[in-house]
Amino acid sequence: MSTRVIIGGLLSCLFVLSGCSRQEEAVDAGPSAAAAPPVEESSGPATRDYMATVSRPNVVNLIDLHDNKVVRRCELPSGAAPGTLVVSPDRNIAYALSDSFGNVFGVSLETCEVVFSTQQSEGNVRVKTIGSLAVSPDGSEIYTHQNRVTLNSDHYQVETPRVAVFDTAGGLDSRPVRTFEAPRQVTIMATDAKGALYLGGADIYRMDVNTGEYEIALASRSLDDPRYTQRDILSVWPIGEVNREFVRMYSVARYQEGSDDLDSADWLWGYERVDLETGATEDRDFGPLEVVLFTSLRRPGHPDRVYGVLTELKEFDAATQSVLRTVELDHTYYCVNFSTDGSRLYLSGALSDVAVYDADSLEKITNIQLSGDMGMANSYVFSRGTI
Amino acid sequence: MKHLKAVNKKAQQLAEAAEQGQADEVVAMQTVVGCAATTDPGWEVDMFGTVAGLCQPMEADLYGCSDPCWWPAQVPDTMNTYPDWTKEADSAAKDWRNLDSVYPDEEE
Repeated sequence: MSTRVIIGGLLSCLFVLSGCSRQEEAVDAGPSAAAAPPVEESSGPATRDYMATVSRPNVVNLIDLHDNKVVRRCELPSGAAPGTLVVSPDRNIAYALSDSFGNVFGVSLETCEVVFSTQQSEGNVRVKTIGSLAVSPDGSEIYTHQNRVTLNSDHYQVETPRVAVFDTAGGLDSRPVRTFEAPRQVTIMATDAKGALYLGGADIYRMDVNTGEYEIALASRSLDDPRYTQRDILSVWPIGEVNREFVRMYSVARYQEGSDDLDSADWLWGYERVDLETGATEDRDFGPLEVVLFTSLRRPGHPDRVYGVLTELKEFDAATQSVLRTVELDHTYYCVNFSTDGSRLYLSGALSDVAVYDADSLEKITNIQLSGDMGMANSYVFSRGTI
Repeated sequence: MKHLKAVNKKAQQLAEAAEQGQADEVVAMQTVVGCAATTDPGWEVDMFGTVAGLCQPMEADLYGCSDPCWWPAQVPDTMNTYPDWTKEADSAAKDWRNLDSVYPDEEE
């Protein structure tokens, strides 16, 4: 990703102390853990937060966010990139887009067994999927957005992109059970509670996965508001699960009233989101564009607090469209995320560690080291029974 | 074709086809057949024309750029042609010395 693209109280203090004391306990699960995943003794609640994320060379990491420890390192049959990952609704299977953007692999979080994979390219038709992966709310289907090119002997033919539907019970090398023509330039997807598929491209589209019919759910590029320039969006990170939302951020210039002069315009960050429980959409400017950011997310339980990250961590108050705090980072991170209760903030992506912060104080608690770089992999935070 | 003038036979045929509505729509390959289709030389300066907004260290941004063919001029095409270019460098910051030049004959 080029940066040129515009693109508590006593309780929390206890959490901080707890996290610090556990930092020294964090155990490197080691690459060998992939073949025979450890079942580790752990005290704490029966249901807890986990983060799943992909790292080099080919690892799906399952991180226990209560102990800040990697508890599973599951090997994928192919290289890590891009590492876009979603977890099944029953929280048992992690689906990771890897194989040089070529295929999806489903990995059991309990056993690390690869239980599902796709076969997207066929014959001389090469298929690449750019970060667009979603699972149906009942877990029975996987959706990918396929960019297809026919490789002829004397020329390449760009084909119409499509959404491919896979049966998750299809096992290995699954072929699509349905395909539908789809918009171009789709880089992120999600499903809502009713099963509608959202595709983030020039606009955010809502597709019926049974008929293939789609409509604009939230206008972005096609938005025609004379007060603003066209939005610029870079989004390949599905990170909104803790808020049950499809979310992506944009940058935009807002003209002064009665003016169309860019030099005097306000440059802003904003978000576009879909509530995945209700299907309701929202777009909102949330703060000034002072530095480049790659992802942003609202803190659970604090809808006006938006946190964005790249080389700095920024806390915004969306109500006043202002920056509240800025945290200098050890290095660049692509993805911001939260614990399900909003008490912890996580930074991941780019290099090979996940940074854990107290969301109230924005003091760092620890770094969780992974097997290798995450690159453009997203983090996926969810709650489930203890593994 | 308001500002362009066809200067050879093939270009003239293309211009005629376009005038007759018979030319196909031109669409981007979106990094499907090789990174050369992507050009975004954005590593010299950030969006403000300075360097403060660039990823730090540069290795933090290396795979995020090269994996999706975002960084075509400086690194091999790992999406299609040289998928193993980073095989000995799981950590770009620690293993960058293992990121070598590639040569077509050696890969064949």
